[in-house]
Amino acid sequence: MKIYNLLIIALSLTLLTGCDDDLVLLNPNSQTAETFWLTQEHAMEGTNAIYNSLLIDGYYMRMTPALTDGRGDDFQGDSPWPDLMQVANFTILPTSGPVQWTWSAYYQAVFRANQVLTHVPDIEMDENLKQRVLGQAYFLRGLAYFNLTTTFQKVPLILTVAQSEEEYYPATATEEAIWAQIISDFKNAQSLLPVDYNSVSGPDQGQVGRATKGAATGFLGKSYLYTGKDWGLAATEFQKLIEGPEVNIYNLTSNYRDNFSPFVENNSESLFEVQFATPDQVGGTVKNYGGEPSSSWMQVSSIGHTYAQDGYGYSDFLPTRWIYDEFKLEKTVSGGIDPRLLSTIASYEPTENSTTVYGGTPWPHAQDAIYPRKYTHDGFGLTSESQGSVELSDINYRLMRYADVLLMYAESLNEQGQTEEAYSYIQLVRDRANLPDLATVRPGMSQEQMRDQIAHERVLELSVESIRIHDIIRWGWLYDSEKLAELKQHDSDFNYWVAGKEYLPIPQSELDVNPNLEPNSAN
Amino acid sequence: MAKNQLFYYYQLLLRKCFRSITVLLVLFSVCEINAQTDTNIKGTVISENDGLTLPGVNVIVKGSSRGVITDFNGNYSISASSNDILVFSFVGFKTQEIPVGNRSEIDVNLFDDATSLDDIVVIGYGTQRKSDLTGSISVIDAEEAQKLSNSDVSQLLQGRSAGVTVTSDGEPGAGPNVRIRGIGTFGNNQPLYIVDGVPVGTSIRDFNPNDIKTIQVLKDASAGAIYGSRAANGVVIITTKKGYKNTPLKIEFSGYYGFDEVSKKIPVLDREGYQMISNEKRINAGLPLIDGNDPSSPLFVSDIDTDWQKVGLKSGSRQNENFNFSGGGENVTYNASLDHYRNEGVFEGKGPTYERYSVKLNTVIEKGIFKMSPSLYYTHSFENSLTYRGDVLTGGRPPLINDLVTAIPTMGVYDENNIGGYAGSSSTIHQEIVLNVPGINSLFENTVEVDRTFAIVNPELKLLDVNGHELTYKLNLSYDKTQARDFSFVPQFEMGYFFGSGKSLLDDNSRVYTVSLIENTLNYKKTFGKHDVDVILGQTYQENLAVLRTGHSENLPQPYYPVLSNGENQSAGGLEYKSSLASYFGRINYNFDHRYLLTATVRRDGSSRFAPANRFGTFASGAVGWRISNEEFFNVPEEIINELKLRASYGQLGNQNIGDYLFQSVMNRNILYNFGGDVVTGGLQTSIIDENIKWETSTSINLGLDATLFNKSVDLSLEYYNKETADVLVGVPIPASTGSINTAPTVNAGSLRNSGLDMEIAYHYIRNKDFSFDISANASTLKNEVLALGGNNEPVYGVGSKTQVGSEVGEHFGYVYEGIFQTEEEVNNHAFQNSGTAPGDIIFQDLNNDGTINADDRAFLGSAIPNVTYGLSITSKYKNFDFTIFASGAAGYSINSWLHRTTMATGWFGNAHEDILNRWTPTNTDTNIPRVVAYDPNGNQRDSNRPGWLQKGDYLRLNTVSLGYTIPKETFKVFDSSRIYVTGQNLYTFQKYKSFNPDFTSGVFNPGFDQGSYPKPRTFMLGVQLSF
Repeated sequence: MKIYNLLIIALSLTLLTGCDDDLVLLNPNSQTAETFWLTQEHAMEGTNAIYNSLLIDGYYMRMTPALTDGRGDDFQGDSPWPDLMQVANFTILPTSGPVQWTWSAYYQAVFRANQVLTHVPDIEMDENLKQRVLGQAYFLRGLAYFNLTTTFQKVPLILTVAQSEEEYYPATATEEAIWAQIISDFKNAQSLLPVDYNSVSGPDQGQVGRATKGAATGFLGKSYLYTGKDWGLAATEFQKLIEGPEVNIYNLTSNYRDNFSPFVENNSESLFEVQFATPDQVGGTVKNYGGEPSSSWMQVSSIGHTYAQDGYGYSDFLPTRWIYDEFKLEKTVSGGIDPRLLSTIASYEPTENSTTVYGGTPWPHAQDAIYPRKYTHDGFGLTSESQGSVELSDINYRLMRYADVLLMYAESLNEQGQTEEAYSYIQLVRDRANLPDLATVRPGMSQEQMRDQIAHERVLELSVESIRIHDIIRWGWLYDSEKLAELKQHDSDFNYWVAGKEYLPIPQSELDVNPNLEPNSAN
Repeated sequence: MAKNQLFYYYQLLLRKCFRSITVLLVLFSVCEINAQTDTNIKGTVISENDGLTLPGVNVIVKGSSRGVITDFNGNYSISASSNDILVFSFVGFKTQEIPVGNRSEIDVNLFDDATSLDDIVVIGYGTQRKSDLTGSISVIDAEEAQKLSNSDVSQLLQGRSAGVTVTSDGEPGAGPNVRIRGIGTFGNNQPLYIVDGVPVGTSIRDFNPNDIKTIQVLKDASAGAIYGSRAANGVVIITTKKGYKNTPLKIEFSGYYGFDEVSKKIPVLDREGYQMISNEKRINAGLPLIDGNDPSSPLFVSDIDTDWQKVGLKSGSRQNENFNFSGGGENVTYNASLDHYRNEGVFEGKGPTYERYSVKLNTVIEKGIFKMSPSLYYTHSFENSLTYRGDVLTGGRPPLINDLVTAIPTMGVYDENNIGGYAGSSSTIHQEIVLNVPGINSLFENTVEVDRTFAIVNPELKLLDVNGHELTYKLNLSYDKTQARDFSFVPQFEMGYFFGSGKSLLDDNSRVYTVSLIENTLNYKKTFGKHDVDVILGQTYQENLAVLRTGHSENLPQPYYPVLSNGENQSAGGLEYKSSLASYFGRINYNFDHRYLLTATVRRDGSSRFAPANRFGTFASGAVGWRISNEEFFNVPEEIINELKLRASYGQLGNQNIGDYLFQSVMNRNILYNFGGDVVTGGLQTSIIDENIKWETSTSINLGLDATLFNKSVDLSLEYYNKETADVLVGVPIPASTGSINTAPTVNAGSLRNSGLDMEIAYHYIRNKDFSFDISANASTLKNEVLALGGNNEPVYGVGSKTQVGSEVGEHFGYVYEGIFQTEEEVNNHAFQNSGTAPGDIIFQDLNNDGTINADDRAFLGSAIPNVTYGLSITSKYKNFDFTIFASGAAGYSINSWLHRTTMATGWFGNAHEDILNRWTPTNTDTNIPRVVAYDPNGNQRDSNRPGWLQKGDYLRLNTVSLGYTIPKETFKVFDSSRIYVTGQNLYTFQKYKSFNPDFTSGVFNPGFDQGSYPKPRTFMLGVQLSF
């Protein structure tokens, strides 16, 4: 009997073997990292994926414009959403969700650009295409850091793909280091990118909306301008866009509103814009707020609905009365109101034949009510914002217009003492608004007077384009008691401002998890 | 179909996993050597008390696993030799041992005995006498627990066993959270459920609680070790009802009907109160009044005063009908059941409701050395769930109950001008984000339909049964297929300025889960002299497959025919996940003279969820027991101590309860963009993962004392446990600056310790057959400590909580309340809080004295995990009446209630709790409620310990009070027995907590955050139980 026992045990052991091979299971849903970054197609895909990060809530879909415009003196909060109000009046807490979303969005773009910049140089592919691919990655990384530092002032500088967990916790970099990197990225982009994509050959041939040499040049100039000391370098870059070589291909559109229209996108005035489109145009069933990208994402903006007036959108913000009055300070040569008023603000103006909203509905608000119009669909003949649904705007977000380039050039000339030379570039912008010749109405301005004039011209031209608060900050107005008093006059939100709160706070969730990160002055 | 698939699957596995099928044939041939020298013994078992025959009595040949059960008439038949001893045992009766001798017929009278030390307990791949247990195993009184109306098997565990906490909200069909001995891991904390020997792949919810015969909970490492990797959170072993041998058909019916009602109402403001507070908020912020609240505005609302809780809540109902058919012959027994359960929730509108139909067939086939107990279970359930669409109701809405309670009274319910007919808020009149809950709950359709088939085939052969040697081979095959259909339809609708959909949206998704198991075990038993040995060796392989598919379509024409083909923009999606687990295990149970007990277990698991280098884990455990009362020197009289046992165990268990493929970096190649309208696709890595994840391991020590005292009238069990879990697998937040979309990749992060005492005590009083009662109580303490958090030991933050080394998981964390600013001077003299801070705002303590209140001024504010949980149950009988009370509770923790904080929000939207009327104003300064001011510039709303922000969670809930009456047999001769009863469930909860349920379900890192649980309703039921 014992023998049988042993036999049975031996046989059992034979029986109890061998399923280990079945433990090898690979993800059937996605390609693994080892088999990617090998071909030209992969390089193209990598670059396309960086652009996608511009489409999410924290970036240009909503929060970057909303949180930037909201802080200006031309815009005030009117929202039941506390975060939008608190951003507008500089009391936002570091725990705010929208603030965190912007931070995440910028760094998503950085992570994606870093992957392209790390892997693409090793790919064997068409050398010209490789340069364009890398150029776009540099441009989009520079743009992300431009947004990061103008929004949060001091942030970590991440330029490589983390190889181990230790690299997940970067320290805060100095502002100087961040600006140096932004300038370096835009310089690289400038040297690698084509003037346009019509004359290139390759899979990107003819694709509008990709970053160009002109876009890199404009942002390089703007970066010099923002650092506040390299006026000459800034002027050099802007001059290229105006006089060449190569990149002097831009012109002001004849109709100011074309720059915020869904129908005249990627036009002659635009250096770079984020491409939004409705599901009817590009498909999609799931809103592109963020998270893991999928093939069912829409590519819509929700700024239209966020800014649109009562009854047509959330009306989360209103123009300030000051900016409205500012538009009326100067009449056009034909004695009318600056046409930019009604492109920027929805207002009841019988003298300008403005008595309706959207598809001709008689003015439904109080006669003295004003609402944002820029970046909404009001005035384009449509009957509603987002065509019956919510947050489905297809209006491309313009990141830099030639008008801005002209004004920045004028500013950098004036700051170098070339005040007289600045007139003609400002006048180009004024001419489109049909305003009289500045050299006639305000001849011989001092550098100081010209500074104020440029500020005035900029806010009328560029109001509600995510620019105003950055101008206020870089001009130092918040720390100039006279200017601060003016700002408080313009927008009562500035009464709550205390030193340092002009930036958005570093998200608390980020400080909580990264011990090497420093809070900023707004925390 | 299932059988075909099963057969196919078995073939597949045979091919895959067996070196040679001939092995089986050899095993079969070995069987022939079994020599049977036994004779057949029969007899009848009778209750000494009332002289009635006893069906279901265990009759076992001592020292073997050979046993039978008496039939319906108390008869048994068993083969035994003249040297054998027959053991007769039955719940509630004293066990008797009778030597066979030369008799062939043995009739037995059993005596009442409330204690049950000789009960057979299922321990996983075998059984053991309760008295021989060395590990920590709780036996749940399933019959008692079934007196409650439960939709989910896990609810049967609530308050029934020390160390087992069940938290759930009251939503029909909602799955409870079961935690055995605390938060053992950060990831999935649910225990492993074993139904009739098979691990249940997906939700236990699909199983019908009425089918359950016994439930055992394995709590320590030694008890759970045989299940190795998956036992780290404890094991719940469920055995379903079987038929009795040689018993005619017995038909039983049980059913109940009851009403559900939300017994608690949150007192919120009416129209005038709301408008006054809203206006005060605006005025204090220097903002113009909202038109609808401004008496001087033409838009002022004076004729609407909606009581949303009244409009949105209604009476729910629940009902259950169960038929059970059982019986058996000499070789086959059967138990079949049909069950229907329906629970209609308390929300006005389409959901929530949950309805389930189930059919179960259990048979046991036995002849000679062959035995098999195949089982087939099929269930169909239908749920109207409350889950609604984040894409339509934007802004990350909290659970609907919050939206209902905080809805403003100046908004109506209906508006015929809106498509869909329901009112919403207007940006001009209300300027508030308000969701019309009954509106969306009536318009939206969200259903989940589940079909599940669960089949088991488990042939076993007794290969040897000679001279005290017993060897059994068992093959266990199971196939578990769940098909779920998730359907969601949103019609075109308008509901104010935040909510609406310009087109109808249809999603029709499906999920198919397949779990297949093959197990081979060999069990060897021998009794020689005073030694009992029981060895089991086994191999098991399990494969899980999930196939997920989505279908979307929109803009369906009216009238709606909501099928995918009828819409535009149709799209489809799909994903597949597969995992496998291959294991080997062995266990020895040894006892000497029923005095010294030993268990040793080892299990080696391989999991597909880890990279090859980390794939395998080996986990071992051991346990010893000492039955002191069986020692000769133990002379304590029976009146004082009847049984006394000490036991100790130590062991390790692994855990791999994480998602599939998490160690593999993958590329997302579905990243879209368009260039001037031309769509391009991008691809790269969007999320960061940790390739080095490996097994999580928990090491636990268990010390126990079991005693039976005072003429067996008291059972006592005391246990101390200490469980350390290392390399905890959890998603740990990483900085968003990494750019990873998943900012909490799964890693092996740190370690945790849970320790505490589990106590169970029961008192049995039996005067005579007319009057008896039992009281049982259990309590359990829990001390949780985080020992390490992996990496640099950085703390992990949850909602108002922080987990750091040395603290508990998810302790409340925030600012420290110091009072209310009374004057401008006080504001200026205090550390800077925010530029809008003014008198009436909260003073937060400047903990680091740096003159600024910021994130560095946060502190731990108290425990979020109950340190004591307890249950109390009393059952009694007087003549034909029976009476049950069951209560349970918890103490020693506080709760951060999203709902309460929102209703007390001084800064923004929604209606408020009546308590807000006592807010600070220049004339009402003696209060701890701050001023109301729009947009809360001071951040009064932040996480802090201001009064009301953290509420004591301590509660005692009267879960069940039930009174039954057994109708005398003479009344209805057609029935063998009949009983009617009334039951009140969740009758009352003693609690200070101002929201609904103090035992809500929560996230791991914020166990004290109640984001708004569905109110647990009070239920009254009338039920009947019949058998014939």
